[in-house]
Amino acid sequence: MTATLTKPPVDVPSEPEQPRRKMNVGAVLNWVATHAIGLALGLMFATPVVFVFLTAVMSDDQAFTSDLWPREWHWGNFVEVFDKAPLFQYLVNSLTYSLLATLGMLISSIPAAYALAKLKWRGRNVAFILVIGAMMLPPQVVAVPLYDTWSGLGLTGTLVPLIAPYFLFDAFSIFLLRQFMLTIPQSYVDAARVDGCSEFQALVRIIVPMAKPGIAATALFCFLFTWNDYFGPLLYTGEVKDQWTLSLALATFKGMHIVQWNSSMAVTFLTMIPAVVLFVFAQKSFVKGITFTGVKG
Amino acid sequence: MTATLGARPAPGRGRARARHRLAVLGFMAPALIGFVLFFGYPLVTTVVLSFTKYDLINPPEFNGLDNYTFMFKDPLLIKAITNTLWFVVVLTIARTVFALGVASVIARLKSGVGLIRTLCYLPSLAPPVAATLVFFMVMRPNGGPLDTVLGWFGVDSPLFFSDPAWAKPGITAIMLWISGDLMIIILAAILDVPQEQYEAAELDGAGPIRRWWHVTLPTISPVLLFGIVNSVILALQLFTQAVVAGSAGSGAADATGSTKYLGFPDNSTLTFPVYLYTQGFRYFDMGYAAAMATVLFVISFAATIVLVQRMRKNSTAEEGGPGA
Amino acid sequence: MRKHTRAALLCVAAALTLTACAAGKGGGANSDAAAAPGKDDKLTLTVWSNYSDREYEEVTKALKTFNKKFPNIEIKHEGSQDDDKITAGIRSGNTPDVALSFTTDNIGQFCSSGAFQPLKNYIDRDKVDLNQLSPAVQEYTEYKGDRCAMPMLTDVYAMYYNKDALSAAGIATPPKTLDELYDAAVKATKKAPNGDIEVAGYLPTMGFYANRPTILAPTFGAEWDKDGKSALASSPGFTEMMTFQKKLVDFYGYDALERFRAGLGQEYSADHAFHQGKIAIMIDGEYRTAFLKAQAPQIKFGTAPFPTWKPADYGTAFTTGTIMGIPKGAKNPGAAWELIKHLTFDTDTIVDLSNAIKNVPSTKAAMESPKLEVDEQFKTFIDLAKSDKLKGNPVTPIGDAHIKAVTDFSVSYQSGKVPDLAAGLKEVDKNIDDLIAKSGK
Repeated sequence: MTATLTKPPVDVPSEPEQPRRKMNVGAVLNWVATHAIGLALGLMFATPVVFVFLTAVMSDDQAFTSDLWPREWHWGNFVEVFDKAPLFQYLVNSLTYSLLATLGMLISSIPAAYALAKLKWRGRNVAFILVIGAMMLPPQVVAVPLYDTWSGLGLTGTLVPLIAPYFLFDAFSIFLLRQFMLTIPQSYVDAARVDGCSEFQALVRIIVPMAKPGIAATALFCFLFTWNDYFGPLLYTGEVKDQWTLSLALATFKGMHIVQWNSSMAVTFLTMIPAVVLFVFAQKSFVKGITFTGVKG
Repeated sequence: MTATLGARPAPGRGRARARHRLAVLGFMAPALIGFVLFFGYPLVTTVVLSFTKYDLINPPEFNGLDNYTFMFKDPLLIKAITNTLWFVVVLTIARTVFALGVASVIARLKSGVGLIRTLCYLPSLAPPVAATLVFFMVMRPNGGPLDTVLGWFGVDSPLFFSDPAWAKPGITAIMLWISGDLMIIILAAILDVPQEQYEAAELDGAGPIRRWWHVTLPTISPVLLFGIVNSVILALQLFTQAVVAGSAGSGAADATGSTKYLGFPDNSTLTFPVYLYTQGFRYFDMGYAAAMATVLFVISFAATIVLVQRMRKNSTAEEGGPGA
Repeated sequence: MRKHTRAALLCVAAALTLTACAAGKGGGANSDAAAAPGKDDKLTLTVWSNYSDREYEEVTKALKTFNKKFPNIEIKHEGSQDDDKITAGIRSGNTPDVALSFTTDNIGQFCSSGAFQPLKNYIDRDKVDLNQLSPAVQEYTEYKGDRCAMPMLTDVYAMYYNKDALSAAGIATPPKTLDELYDAAVKATKKAPNGDIEVAGYLPTMGFYANRPTILAPTFGAEWDKDGKSALASSPGFTEMMTFQKKLVDFYGYDALERFRAGLGQEYSADHAFHQGKIAIMIDGEYRTAFLKAQAPQIKFGTAPFPTWKPADYGTAFTTGTIMGIPKGAKNPGAAWELIKHLTFDTDTIVDLSNAIKNVPSTKAAMESPKLEVDEQFKTFIDLAKSDKLKGNPVTPIGDAHIKAVTDFSVSYQSGKVPDLAAGLKEVDKNIDDLIAKSGK
């Protein structure tokens, strides 16, 4: 990044004789335009989350009405939800589910993606298409036989049916990682092989560091998908409350004819915090990725 | 799959070939087992169940092609297919283009990158039910924030989620708002484009747009392929957002996305998976739902093969030669 | 050849659903009633319901009153379990002893599939007097004469009207007939000079809030079926329902009405249009009285039976409620039955629970109890519940497919997309019959 900053950005195919001053004005205008668009996008994206927050601090009667601004600020809502639901227990379960699933995904998907992206073998194309196909069965139907199997094993009511599959197969991640690895020039892998690296060493020493942004992104998705997964935990842990995840806490605020919107938005907001923190940290590895591959030799 | 899982005959000694084969097998083994357990088994079950009458409680009874023939006299199925096709076309294009656009803007930012990146990503961090509800409130006519902004320009907000013609565009808007995940993937890919390639292009006198077109796009094309396939799958499996938007539109939203009012208004939000769920779990006909799933799978799988093959043809030139 | 394929398929199917078969005991119409637990038997009864938070606490309290009769039985109440979860549990043998369901839509499936065990033998053995329950409540807890569930409290639907809005419109007495309802709706409607609706007298949009065809059917004397066939087209009531609603839609103007409706608040929030004074008359359940008092004390409202098409029908109402059953595969069916019996018939328990969550009690004795808190607005619902004019849910083996079909049709009809009402209803009949035929039940 520093490399690009030291050099003034060039915006139009520059003619050699172009005066220096004009170029700077163009660069400044461009800078302003890009950043204005960026800021507008940021604001647009932030709106709904601000809305979640504002609803969370409203009174019972005001929440989810057409009022946008709280009449009174009920900060206590954020405390009360801890009395209404054992959120710390749910947090532990959520972390268990998301972290173990992500770990499992990395262990199982990185090698598979590498084999699909950088190794040549008969059946590779078929395997790749099957991976994509695996995402095309509607989960509502898949859940029927799988639930019966897990129940037969006596594992419903635990997080195992949710986590275990990630240690073996996650089509989404394999697909995404493979695509990232394809963007890495084959020459790097070949060079490693010439240097006498085994496939495993090539994967660990060359591919993994180079694909770090992709791996970070994939891990992030896996984490967030599991973090926000509602139907999986409901199906498998529903009847055992101490196995509930944070995402299920929302069910606490829905009655037969009543919904506590402020509490459910407060929990939504609290649930998002760990995800945001994680994202902020994950961003760092995106930057690392740039400096690694973008560094001048 | 095991049958075809052999190494391409590599030049050189047999030992190297065996080692290569072992590496492939080792790398693919967990996936292979998982594939059989979590995909193969449910797929076979689904196909078998599609030839039965199964109410989820009693053992399935074979009923031949009844489930498949019933499809031809089911008016809602046609509606569900049309809705889902709409999403496959519109959502796929809109989401890929939108995510690529936003990622390209972010990639050009010099300051405040972290903040703006986080802001763009925020909505996709929210639990899907809550996110949909909040967007519903934001897009509410008669005084919602979007309506207010449109009012400044003298435009009446369309009746998202109440007017059958606007329900699907409304859901598409929600899906774009929460497409931060794809944005980040594409952004990561853009940032990953080796800097030398830009410099080389710059030396050739290419401007930013030409650099983007000739360097960025081709380099990230595998990730774009992912974006397209991922969007197609998202469209094919659109469920939570459709259910929640439908129930909120009918005035009966709750905190968990109950499935009481499916398809509101006028079945414009009745997507294929929503209908499949309705048949399987609301009308207790899992046999029919399985038949629907089978049809969906066969068609989308065939479409995937065509898509992937075409993409492969376009990109084989860029893929380097095999190591073996 | 065909036979072979068939046999092979059946084998695979059987193998795939082994667990379903393994759990397949305890069903069947002839199973004997399991003995009640002894006084000293130590056992745990698991109860699944879809309650949460405050309602969950109150229902748990009600469940615990069972311990007065059976102190040794421990009750484990799991909330937030929906019908999908109950079905998955039954299928795989992971079942509670008692399952509560919020909806009566699935009773046809629960009874006919054996998902809930038949209760006839228990009722005969214990000489239970079902006439304690109103006929409509009896109907929505059984399917084709097979009883597999019992009620726990009921909801009754009636008219809510905004007193100030009606008197400002010059309407002295709440409407009792459809003509009066139309008249009141027109008079109480306020439009802005540009045609925008500010207050709607009565909102006819089907599917919105409690405007569901089941809830409205008693008003029109609409019959769902005849001789086991869907009979919407031949029932004058449904034709009248559609025509009446369309007449109101035309009065408002479809586009103006849709714009107005799209801006209304959510049913389960303080922004409900009736709370906001944006609609003057509506149909809703008794639970709304509590919300109105808590969330919109400024609204002076009255309740009355909903107006009817035929004057002779006045005083009719739709009823539904929470149902309880013993799922197939339950470990302690005998004790489960005792708990269900307790919750259905123990007057003190029902009255306390009714007072706590503001639902209508399901037995006649509980409705007469002096301990039941009844105010002026709630009384309408109790009176309706006591009458024999109540109508329950039309029970089918296809869940709420028939209700959805009518709602969908009505929405199209109101938007002017259906040229021929009679032909349209016939089409809906055919679709419903097709679905029932497909279910094979």
